[in-house]
Amino acid sequence: MIRSLDDFARIAREKGPKKLAVLAPEDEEFMLAVKTSWQKGYIEPVLLGNTEKMKRVAEKVEFDIGGFETIVGDDRQGIADLGLSMLFSGKLEIVSKGQIPTSYIYRSIIREENRTGSGMTVSVVSFWEVPGLDHLVALTDTGVSIKPDMKTKAEILKNALFVYRLLGYPKPRIAVLSGQREIGGALVSYRDFDLLRKAAAAGDFGECEILDATSFTEIFLGGRDRPVDYVSMNLARMPHILLVPCLDTGNIICKLDFFLDVTRCSLVATSRGPVCIPARSDSSDNIVEQLAMCVVVTDRMKGEVK
Amino acid sequence: MLRFFKDILDAAKEGGAKKLAAPCAEKKDMDLLSKAAGSGLIIPCLIGDGKAIEGMLKGLPLASLEHEIMEEKDPDKALGRSIMLVREGRADMLMQGSVDHQMLMDAVMDARNGLRKGKLTSYVSIFQLPKPEKLILVTDTFINNNPTLAEKQLILEHAVRLADILGIDAPKVAALAAIEQINLNIPSTVDAAILSKMSERKQFGKAIVEGPLDIDCALSEAAAARKGLRSVVTGNVDIYLVPEIDTGHLLAEALVFFGRLETAGAIMGTTNPVILNVPFVSEENRIVEIAIAALMCRKGEDHA
Repeated sequence: MIRSLDDFARIAREKGPKKLAVLAPEDEEFMLAVKTSWQKGYIEPVLLGNTEKMKRVAEKVEFDIGGFETIVGDDRQGIADLGLSMLFSGKLEIVSKGQIPTSYIYRSIIREENRTGSGMTVSVVSFWEVPGLDHLVALTDTGVSIKPDMKTKAEILKNALFVYRLLGYPKPRIAVLSGQREIGGALVSYRDFDLLRKAAAAGDFGECEILDATSFTEIFLGGRDRPVDYVSMNLARMPHILLVPCLDTGNIICKLDFFLDVTRCSLVATSRGPVCIPARSDSSDNIVEQLAMCVVVTDRMKGEVK
Repeated sequence: MLRFFKDILDAAKEGGAKKLAAPCAEKKDMDLLSKAAGSGLIIPCLIGDGKAIEGMLKGLPLASLEHEIMEEKDPDKALGRSIMLVREGRADMLMQGSVDHQMLMDAVMDARNGLRKGKLTSYVSIFQLPKPEKLILVTDTFINNNPTLAEKQLILEHAVRLADILGIDAPKVAALAAIEQINLNIPSTVDAAILSKMSERKQFGKAIVEGPLDIDCALSEAAAARKGLRSVVTGNVDIYLVPEIDTGHLLAEALVFFGRLETAGAIMGTTNPVILNVPFVSEENRIVEIAIAALMCRKGEDHA
C-alpha cells in the first residue's frame, strides 16, 4: 500500500526512468524539478517549448539539456496537443505541464480521449499528504468540471477510485462533500450525495464506501451537534477520497497547502497514462514529488483495463 | 486593530454590560451566559420555562448575578417575545438558545416582526491567525447558498463593516475563485472581477478588493508573483469573499479541522446582533461571539 509521498519517491526510483514530455519548462522551478527528477532516475525528459527560454532557465539551474530530445514550439496549444498525442500514441508514458495554462492541456486531453472513443470524463485528482495520517487523501475534481452534475460526479468518482485502487486500496472510503447545513434547504450538492450513495449501494462503483457525512464537522465529530474540541481533535476518520461539489470548492480547498501543513500532488489519469499538472505557483521540490507520483501511477496502470 | 480573540473580549468589556435575550436556553447556553455575565459582558434575559431555567441556574455564578427570567413555556412564543424585547429596545442582542436554526432565521428575517435591516443577512467567520498574528474574516460561511453579484456586494459590505468594528482599517479583500484569470465560463471569476473594479472606484470605501484570486495567490505573495500577479492584497488578506456556500462552509471547516484555527462568527444585516449556534465554533469561543455582538452594539444603529 502506498501511504505517503515518500512511498511514491521510493517506488519511482525502482520503476523509473519513464519517458516523460514536459510542456514548456520555461521557468526555473519547473526546469529545476526536471533536473532533480532526472538525477533521481524517475524520468527521461522530452522537452517541448521555446528553445531559447528553455536553454536560459536550464543554464540558470545548471542543467545540461543538450543530451535530451527537444521539440521546438511556441504555440501553447500546439505544444499541449503534441505532448498529449505522443502520450496517446504510446511514444512516451507521462506528460507534465510546465509554464503553460492548464486549460490548454485539458483541451488536448479531451480531444485525444474523444479521438480514441474512450468516453472518459477528464478530471483532476489532487492528493494531500497530511502529517500523522496513515494514508493519502485524494480530492477530486479539482481542475476541470466547473459545476458537474450528478452523472459527471459519478464519472469523476470512478476516475478517483481507479487511481486510489492503484495505490493498493481495494475498498476506499469516500466523503461526498457539501455545504449542507441547518438552514437554506437542500443544496444540489447534498442531493447529489444522496444519489451517489444510492448508486454506490447498488454497486455502481464497485467495492467502496460512501460515508454518511457531507461536512468536515460530520466526518471528524460524527455529527453536527457535537462540540468542537481543539485538544482532542484528530483526523483519524479522514476518508481516502473527498469528492468536492464544484471547481471553486475543489481548487480552493486543495490548494490550502499554501497555508496548512499538508503537501499536495495533482494528476489527471487519462486512459493512456497520467498527466502531471502542478500549479504554476508550485515549488520545484513539490513538482518533483508530483512527477514521482506519476511515475508510480503509470507503472501501475500497465496491465490495468479501465 | 484587534489581533486576538482576547482583544475582542477586552474591548467589549470596556463598553459595559449589554442586555441579551435568550429564548429556551439549554444547560450549555446557561454555562456560557454565566461566564459572559461574570465577565461583565451581558445581563441575560432568559425567556422560557421558569422552573427549568431556575433548575439550570442552580450552582452557577449567574444565579447570584444580575439576570431576568420571563415565563414562556411555548418555544415559538418564547422566540417571538425575545425578538420583541430586542425590537422594543429592552434587550440589545438576541441569542439562539435551543431554537431551531431555520426557525430562528425565519423569525429574524420576518419583514414585520423580525430584526431584518436590509435585503439580506450574511454570516462572517472570524479566524485568529497565529502567523502573522491577526484576525481574518471569511464570508459567507453559513447563510447564503448561491449569492448573486448584487448579493455578494452586500455580503462584502457587511464584512467590511465588521472589519471596521474590529479595527481593521482599509481591509484587503480577496474575491476568491477557482482561478486568478477571468473565465467567462466560471461565474465566480466574473463576479470577483466586477467587485474588484467596484473597489477601484471606491464603492467599498477604503477596502481594497482584488479578484479573481485563487487561494494560492491570496495566501502567498510569492505564488502570485510566479503567476505574474502583483497586488498589495496577495499574501496579506484580511477578508476572504467566497463564491458560494459549498466553498464557504467547507473552507471554514477546513481551517478549523486541518488548520486548527480558533473561530467565532457574526451575523450581519440585522438591526441588532443575533448570535447563531454554528457547529464548527467551539463552546469556548462562543463567548467571543457575545463579545463581538457587544462591540457591534456600541456602533449604534449602523452596527450591521
